[in-house]
Amino acid sequence: MTVLAVARNHFQAMLVFAFVVSVAFAFLTKRGLSERARYVLWAFLAFLLVAIGLGWVMYPFSR
Amino acid sequence: MKGAVVSESLRAEESEGDQATGTLARGVSAAIGAWVVPGFGHLMLRRWTSAAVYFVCVGGLAFTGLFMRGAVFGPGAPDMFDRLGFFADIGAGGFYFLAQLFHGIVPDIAHASGDYGTRMFATAGILNLLTVLEAFEIGSGRRT
Repeated sequence: MTVLAVARNHFQAMLVFAFVVSVAFAFLTKRGLSERARYVLWAFLAFLLVAIGLGWVMYPFSR
Repeated sequence: MKGAVVSESLRAEESEGDQATGTLARGVSAAIGAWVVPGFGHLMLRRWTSAAVYFVCVGGLAFTGLFMRGAVFGPGAPDMFDRLGFFADIGAGGFYFLAQLFHGIVPDIAHASGDYGTRMFATAGILNLLTVLEAFEIGSGRRT
């Protein structure tokens, strides 16, 4: 039981993290279903974009 | 159609919360409840949807972090970062104390997944502290 079934690799762990934090932030900062849904989508995509972007930027330094 | 029903229920939840007048005692009790069991403070304030979402989010992050073999910091650590980690972790309230029962899961921060797990548990604690603040503000009438 080293890793949960929902997070078998680092990318999946990041997806879980991004989704859960986006949902929690949406409920903390927005009111109304449509506003929250839009915020979840926006924050989730922003998390992914920033993480993948930073990964690309740091890639040359990993060698 | 289904979305409209859910939206109506959310609006009803918020207006129900607005009807009650906020007091400092109500805010403090909601904040304590929210810390002890994530989401419970909002349950006390009749914010059913928020309560369920916060419970699942904080619990989900805490247990994902724990099962990824993340480290859960204890009190009295000599290192400053460990102390900061403890303050983040203790924010998860009941889940922090529940994590102490899982002796079989040994932290493995030598690997990336264990390190991610440590961050996930700390994030669960910080998120719960934000929900505690929100429960206090709603309970004391500073926020609708």
